[in-house]
Amino acid sequence: MLIRLKGGKVYDPAQALDGEIRDIYFRDSVIVDKPEAGAMIDADYDIAGCVVMAGAIDIHSHIAGGNVNTARLLLPEQHRNFVARKLGHRFSTSRWSATETGYRYARMGYTTVVEPAILPINALDAHLQMADIPIIDTAGLAILGNDDYLLRLMRSGASQSQINDYVAWTLHSTRCLGLKVINAGGANAFKSNARSFDLDDVVPEYGVSSRHILQTLQRAACEVEIPHPVHVHCNNLGVPGNVDTALATMEAAQGLPMHLAHIQFYGYGNEGDRGFSSAAAKLIDGFKKHPNITMDVGQVLFGQTVTISGDVIAQYSRRNDASPNKWIAWDAECEGSGGVVPYRYKETSFVNSLQWLIGLEIFLLAEDPWRLFFTTDHPNGAPFTMYPYLIRLLMDRDYRLQCLEQLNQEAVAMSLLKDLDKEFSLYDIAVMTRTAAARLLGLPDRGHLRPGAVADIAVYREQADKAAMFADAELLFKNGRLAVQNGAVVERCNGTAQVVQPLFDHRIERDLQNYYDRFYNLGLANFTVGDVDAGQADSERFRAHACGRPYLAENAR
Amino acid sequence: MTALTFTLKQRPAQRVDLSPLVCQKLAGLSPTDIAALELDSGKRKIRVDELFTIAGYDTQQIVIKNSYAKLDFIGKELTEGEIRIEGDVGSYLGLGMKSGTITVNGNAGLFAACEMKKGFVQINGNTGDFLGAALPGNKMGMKGGTVLVKGNAGERVGDHMRRGVILIEGNAGDYCGSRMTAGTIAVMGKTGRYTGFAMRRGTLLLWNKPELPATFNDCGSHTLAFLPMLFASFRSFDSKFADPAAVFNRVRRYGGDMAEMGRGEVLVRL
Repeated sequence: MLIRLKGGKVYDPAQALDGEIRDIYFRDSVIVDKPEAGAMIDADYDIAGCVVMAGAIDIHSHIAGGNVNTARLLLPEQHRNFVARKLGHRFSTSRWSATETGYRYARMGYTTVVEPAILPINALDAHLQMADIPIIDTAGLAILGNDDYLLRLMRSGASQSQINDYVAWTLHSTRCLGLKVINAGGANAFKSNARSFDLDDVVPEYGVSSRHILQTLQRAACEVEIPHPVHVHCNNLGVPGNVDTALATMEAAQGLPMHLAHIQFYGYGNEGDRGFSSAAAKLIDGFKKHPNITMDVGQVLFGQTVTISGDVIAQYSRRNDASPNKWIAWDAECEGSGGVVPYRYKETSFVNSLQWLIGLEIFLLAEDPWRLFFTTDHPNGAPFTMYPYLIRLLMDRDYRLQCLEQLNQEAVAMSLLKDLDKEFSLYDIAVMTRTAAARLLGLPDRGHLRPGAVADIAVYREQADKAAMFADAELLFKNGRLAVQNGAVVERCNGTAQVVQPLFDHRIERDLQNYYDRFYNLGLANFTVGDVDAGQADSERFRAHACGRPYLAENAR
Repeated sequence: MTALTFTLKQRPAQRVDLSPLVCQKLAGLSPTDIAALELDSGKRKIRVDELFTIAGYDTQQIVIKNSYAKLDFIGKELTEGEIRIEGDVGSYLGLGMKSGTITVNGNAGLFAACEMKKGFVQINGNTGDFLGAALPGNKMGMKGGTVLVKGNAGERVGDHMRRGVILIEGNAGDYCGSRMTAGTIAVMGKTGRYTGFAMRRGTLLLWNKPELPATFNDCGSHTLAFLPMLFASFRSFDSKFADPAAVFNRVRRYGGDMAEMGRGEVLVRL
């Protein structure tokens, strides 16, 4: 079936199209060249006055897995407040259901979302949840760095190749797209009563430092050729003065590709009367000196949310800020830990206002949408449903200044945001949320509109109010099928999960089998993801992508 | 003016959400307006006059007749007036009620008087679990007002309760007064296991010796002058609690739950 989108303004950085009026053709699920004259067009959409982009890609959003379910359990009032009785959706009356996640993302023009924290023992649960999310494609990042097996290997001085095998095996068995490191060693040190953990602190009992773990895993990710650079949640999240930690981590990357997640939470200085200040400028200085580093922002937006993280030290330290006043911290013996703390970001709060300002400062100072990505670290900074509002903040300086008036003025006085004039263009948004994001993840089949790409296409009605424009896509095609029309979902289709399958030496399986038999109360086969009964055959559900050198922005542009 | 009376015509198979039928929401509405209101029932919406015959006008005085155990959310967030129910009621009777009076001539279901803030609820039959408790996931149960139960109550009476009084003439189930932050619960009958489990503060006044967790300390026998004053405050109720013969001031006191803050007390009549 050949479909034409006629007369839209196309924004596709992969072809350097900046608002050129052009027709887009796709046959079934693939974008194709303009067919020869006389070819039969089965469906024609006149989209004059609309903006066309590839389907958007969210590189960091907690949409499935153990912590997400724990948050659901902790906050049943979120469900009760959300009894909208939209009949016909499965579990649609509850907040944060898989259905709602897929539908809301699709309505905003998103077609691929990465769940960035899958603990290997929770991988099966995470995949089942992701399979339940309609329309959008998903992918997971597997967490290593606090697990007993890796730390044992490192304590015993295992060779890098052994560790490479373990990393590759983990991606295979968890069916993930990349590697996540959360406060390397910190969750393990927490078990020995460490309540803060810095880059050069040593994990008790194992004698390895956070830096050593991080560098070992980074090297493994490069050597087994995972296209997505190791995705790092640094130490000291949310601690005033932690900009130095972020800069030290950039330095620790030794020129190899590395992605630093939700960097807004690391843009903190400790100056001023309250010992809390913006260090966005210092952070971005360092960022500009390290072209091997990519980052996403993790913008804070005001309102009720819930913070969920595998960084148990950070979560435990802010348990007293929980609002409503309840929290969970948990520990998965051999693997890691995590915590769920509900939180309300308030405009009247000095700290929250400054966090909001720091995030936007980072966005506007970085000047490189190929290396700096758009996230709110959903739901930690804000729920993903607030993306349109964030896009407007980036694209509309007057609106930004208007918002400043509502904030805590002490924080505004300390920030340079009011002097930043930059406004993102639609092209910048397309780079950040489409083309660069796909390349960062190693997904060459999406994020652009060149022939051969998956026909994931978002069409927005051009409007002055960018929040309204990006809130509801005019049309969204997923795999060439019309999924959203005029901001409403018209077809509930299944997505796929994106994976990489790097090679490894199968001898490691025997060692792991023995290890699981000895230390876990279920066998290894219970944890690996295979034959998932997700309503789709595995061959249809999992889409393998080629391995290769990790993303470097300078090669991508 | 005669009381506004809803008489149930037939019993729907699905549960019905009766939260629109409270005094403050009906005030000023004409009988035809009221008849046209829609109630959620399962996945359907039912008009009020499809379910009830309506008589009377006084929206400050509502009577529900022929009620049965699937009518939920009666008197939700009631702020004024009086609701009387002839028959049983479903779950969430008087949920978050702010003022006024509810009387049930029958049994009540789960979560009766849950998160109630003020007012008076009288249940002349039995009531289900979580009387005067918090909704699941919430940390504050009943915050004020009085609940009088003439029959028995289920488990978890006053779970997370914060203030107010619950009076039970019959028995209470397991975990009576669990996770209480404050408030008073009096039980004339027996209580189940784990009485006062994880209690922080508050008072349980019991007529019979309970089965307490090991984390309660026996503080000996006391003569408490405040008890006759407490009983005096019940004098206006139509209840055994108002009977002068029920008054006592001699109790054995247990302090706990020491696994929590431990400032709660269980007073047992001697």
